[in-house]
Amino acid sequence: MSGSVEIVGSFADEIGCAHGIEKLREVKAIGVRVFSPIPSHRIEHAIGKPKSRVRAFVLTGGILGIITALALTIGTSWEWNLDAGGKPVVSWPPFIIIMFELMVLFGGISAVLSFLVHARVPAFEIAEGYSSRFSEDRFGVVVRCEPADSAQVESILRDAGAEEVVRAAAWPRADGNAVVS
Amino acid sequence: MAAAVQDASTPTFRDIDRSVLRVMEMPGTAYWIWIAFCFSLVGIAAALWTRQIYSGLGVTGLRQPVMWAIYITNFVFWVGIAHSGTLISAILFLFRTRWRTAVYRAAETMTLFAVATAGLFPLIHLGRVWFAYWLLPYPNERFLQPNFRSPLVWDAFAVSTYLTISALFLFMGLIPDVANAREQSKGWRKTFYSILALGWQGTDEQWRHYSMAYLLLAGLATPLVISVHSVVSWDFAMAQLPGWHSTIFAPYFVAGAIFSGVAMVMTLLIPMRKWLHLEDLVTPWHFDNLAKIILLTSLVVSYSYATETFMTWYSGDKIEQMTFHMRYFGPWGYLFWVMVLCNCLIPLLLFSPRIRVNLTALWIISIFVNIGMWLERFVIIAGSLAVNFNPSQWAYYRPSITEIMITVGSFAWFLGLFSLFARLLPIISMTELKEGITWLKKALRKDYAKAA
Repeated sequence: MSGSVEIVGSFADEIGCAHGIEKLREVKAIGVRVFSPIPSHRIEHAIGKPKSRVRAFVLTGGILGIITALALTIGTSWEWNLDAGGKPVVSWPPFIIIMFELMVLFGGISAVLSFLVHARVPAFEIAEGYSSRFSEDRFGVVVRCEPADSAQVESILRDAGAEEVVRAAAWPRADGNAVVS
Repeated sequence: MAAAVQDASTPTFRDIDRSVLRVMEMPGTAYWIWIAFCFSLVGIAAALWTRQIYSGLGVTGLRQPVMWAIYITNFVFWVGIAHSGTLISAILFLFRTRWRTAVYRAAETMTLFAVATAGLFPLIHLGRVWFAYWLLPYPNERFLQPNFRSPLVWDAFAVSTYLTISALFLFMGLIPDVANAREQSKGWRKTFYSILALGWQGTDEQWRHYSMAYLLLAGLATPLVISVHSVVSWDFAMAQLPGWHSTIFAPYFVAGAIFSGVAMVMTLLIPMRKWLHLEDLVTPWHFDNLAKIILLTSLVVSYSYATETFMTWYSGDKIEQMTFHMRYFGPWGYLFWVMVLCNCLIPLLLFSPRIRVNLTALWIISIFVNIGMWLERFVIIAGSLAVNFNPSQWAYYRPSITEIMITVGSFAWFLGLFSLFARLLPIISMTELKEGITWLKKALRKDYAKAA
């Protein structure tokens, strides 16, 4: 999208922000990025992206934990094959506890790792249009569009209740120390 | 009301930020004296532990038949304290409980440090601590592996998993908050928060994956918290000792853990709220709800005591009956009755709505609950061992100065770490308070109505 511009709309609340996003989707605007100081179902619903793939990774991690626990408990029982009064060497019921604990451990670690990978953190660059206020008390909508469409985008954002609507180039960015660099 | 909220009926996002970030400003001399005091006690405890490692367990009061006493009591006590943090942060998160937002970070922090304290005690209790790694399954020349049928090995897995998951959960929750702190701080703090925030900017993509990961971590932590104290209870219940060998132990211990944990949250939060001027964020509405959990779990614990007594009588087992007779009327009987007073009778005061919002009364009750729950573990652990199958072996335990000072040191270690965290990182979640700001406004209005 050569020659495109980025318009930033700043909202005081999530309702206006979500409304603006819905209107932008109606005109099939692409390249919409939202900044928010809080997680918002309303905004998530307005953006309409599919559910996070983190779920699949957590499930995989959990299953891997169970398999690891099985391998550990059964493998070590076989390694020192001690017959205690004719009892089974692989007495599996108590192993369920180890399976459960490792399922939770591997699932939890997978949740955090897959979050880091999918959300692309640590982030070493400031996203276009970010302002420190979007970590504090304002909601931001950044729209990348052709210069010819910028007037329409600006009008949609204003109508939705944006307090400020400016070009990203004119937007007061956070300083360079704001993210890991 | 603190000055941070100009019009307390309508706090804004900025008011919340100001109130929380103000706590993280450079503390005064009194704070550093407190930290120095805590870590001096930790130093004394460390010196005594060093002496114990050098001289052996003979420096403790541990003698046959009571080989598990204060150290293991402390282990169970601190693991129990940890449980309310996960209850408030994970279980109540899944139930979308509104009042948790103001108190969950403090409870979660308490969880992490309580597990870290608890984890020290099995090590302190070891005669040869340098062989602690024998608990881990690792390839060795004699193919010796831990016995996975042993509750002590389950415990090592459960407690290490709990420590890891609690740390991850706390860290995840902190990310948006430290990103906010990063934007509003300067100097070394800005660098520190920048590193911790991992470049968080709150984009929709970041929130989408964050919310899912956080939800799933809460989902995993919920059964974990139940499992951990169940496994801790099986350290005892799996042994065939009268007073320990009981099927009721797992639910009984889990309820007791939440009971003592919520009491510890109150013990910490009530003075912290006053000293750090957090009155506009942590309101009597929050304490009212915490008190209701204490009341409920107190009733469950009381019911468990009654059931345990009934089962002993109904079983007709003479040895079990003698153990319980000695528990109630033996040389340590007074400890049992103090425990009943602290855990069953005093919390009944919380049926009164007025007491549930009287913070002084709540703080005093929470101290009694802490004492009562520590005694409960001691009575079960050391009391049952003292009166075993063979009356000729019966002997009561007397703690040595080493055990007493290490116990004191564990409280100092916990309080010192908690105090350091409270001034360095956001002890109240700004993000979640903002998310539930409507409920905070209602809570503040409710306070005013009560004050009027």
